[in-house]
Amino acid sequence: MDAMVVNGWTWGLVILSAACLAVVWAVPTPRGRGPRAVGLGALLVPVTALYLWAAGLTAPFALTYQVTPTPSGSNQLTQTGTLLFGATNPGESFWLGMLIVSVAAVVTALAPRQAAYAAAAGLLVFGLWQSREAASFESGFQVHWFNWLVASTWRALVWVLALASITGGFWLTRRTIVADLRARKTLTDRVEQLTDTRAVAVDAAAAELRRLERDLHDGAQARLVALGINLRTAEKLIRTSPDAAAALVAECRETSAQALADLRDLVRGIYPPVLADRGLGDAVRALALDCPVPVVTEVSLPGRPPAPVESAVYFAVAEALNNVAKHSGATHALVRLAYTDGMLRAEITDDGTGGADAHNGTGLAGIEHRLGAFDGILAVNSPVGGPTIVVIEVPCALSSPRISTC
Amino acid sequence: MRVVLAEDLYLLRTGLERLLAEHGLEVIESVDNGPALLRALTERQPDVAVVDVRLPPTFTDEGLRAAIEARRQVPGLPVLVLSQYVEQLYARELLADQAGAVGYLLKDRVFNDDQFTDAIRTVAKGGTVMDPEVVGKLLGRRARDEPISRLTAREREVLALMAEGRSNSAIAQRLRVSEKAVGKHSTSIFAKLDLSPSDDDNRRVLAVLAYLNA
Repeated sequence: MDAMVVNGWTWGLVILSAACLAVVWAVPTPRGRGPRAVGLGALLVPVTALYLWAAGLTAPFALTYQVTPTPSGSNQLTQTGTLLFGATNPGESFWLGMLIVSVAAVVTALAPRQAAYAAAAGLLVFGLWQSREAASFESGFQVHWFNWLVASTWRALVWVLALASITGGFWLTRRTIVADLRARKTLTDRVEQLTDTRAVAVDAAAAELRRLERDLHDGAQARLVALGINLRTAEKLIRTSPDAAAALVAECRETSAQALADLRDLVRGIYPPVLADRGLGDAVRALALDCPVPVVTEVSLPGRPPAPVESAVYFAVAEALNNVAKHSGATHALVRLAYTDGMLRAEITDDGTGGADAHNGTGLAGIEHRLGAFDGILAVNSPVGGPTIVVIEVPCALSSPRISTC
Repeated sequence: MRVVLAEDLYLLRTGLERLLAEHGLEVIESVDNGPALLRALTERQPDVAVVDVRLPPTFTDEGLRAAIEARRQVPGLPVLVLSQYVEQLYARELLADQAGAVGYLLKDRVFNDDQFTDAIRTVAKGGTVMDPEVVGKLLGRRARDEPISRLTAREREVLALMAEGRSNSAIAQRLRVSEKAVGKHSTSIFAKLDLSPSDDDNRRVLAVLAYLNA
């Protein structure tokens, strides 16, 4: 076979492999490189087979070939380079081809579990290196760098190892894909859960806005209208009957105080000022102070949770304490607030009669939904006869470490 | 009477300045943020300070913190804290030093300028003034407790007014009874709550608040 032609074969394989790599890399995959590696394998196997067929199927397994001549006295690096890009017989090209397949697979996967490919590549490189060292470059005949593979007693073992490594590589990749499918299932479940909690959160936000609108409309707004009317009347009366005007103005003052009270209640429902001022720890202490049932608080927060989480947990604790005061018949309650391992945990315990149910119109269901938006949970343990324990857990990060005051 | 005023909203600040001036209270300095308030309180040591809870730079409880810090440096410095909302927690913090000369009122109380300026004068004289809403919450919390539940309805009214910081004569006027009757109620309340009676208005208020806050 003409030396120049075979040289072309090697180049051909390099280009084909690169093309396969490019094609596989360009295909979008949902997750990771595992599917790409398999895709590359699937492409490279027929490509290599085609190549072998074109190069002469029997060539790699023949016992003797003309070794590619390399300049005598050159170092091993130069010799290897010559082999890679200047091989002059199909046998050498075959082994180089296998080498390229393995290296490409490793490059594609670039993952520890693809180490099997690396092992295959290593074996082949080792063979290349070894035989090159042993070859007699002067003679140029009968000595091959792959002689040790096809003629030595190691032959069988190396073949088995190389094949096992490549098979192992593909098997591991398959496992990756299975794991990928499982991950996809988890992702699908998660997406469903997020869709649900988002819908609930959006509904809740909309309902909240409607409530605010109604409260403003019927409360402060209405009072301000009344205020305007009364002031206008007072203005008219001020000369003719000052006493009536004074009475009206006094009424106006009362109305404005009422409007303020309405707005204050509204603000408290939106975002309690003490929460804005002091954060969750003191806000919960303030809740405890406002509760008609004596409440002991134990707070251990090394920083502040994100504001939406603070708010959700605050209203959760408020609702729980509200239930304690209204339904439990408790004489004492305990609120514990702590943060450990990325989890904010609030625990409300009372010594009441128990029998509380989170899904039975206690207002806790709404709280549960609100917490759900942060992947938080609410659990109620309330055997008949008590005690009742409400546990709220929300995963979150704490910011700007600041020791809660007092 | 020299007053330091802390309020960040221009309209409210000027309104309060005018109101105080009309009642013969001299505003020696008006500030609109926490650090300036602390400096004004400690350096000028006014007869009384009227302080909004929420002030720049943090727009949280800057005013309250400055007031508490100033009272730490100048014990008993009279401070009347105003707020759009009242918290028992903050009332507690203000009362914690047991020094008196504090007030904690909703901003709405300013509408009744006579009562408001009376409150300022009470605080300036070392008295304690608590917003009815705070007292209501305190009483609400303790309503089921044994000694409080033994008070008569009238006695509870008197107790609430005492806790707000009103004198016997003010209570008498408010309830339309004689001062002597108020005195009788007050003695009975102190006996039922097991508190040592005191003729001193200021000490009486502190004792009642300490009892309710316990």
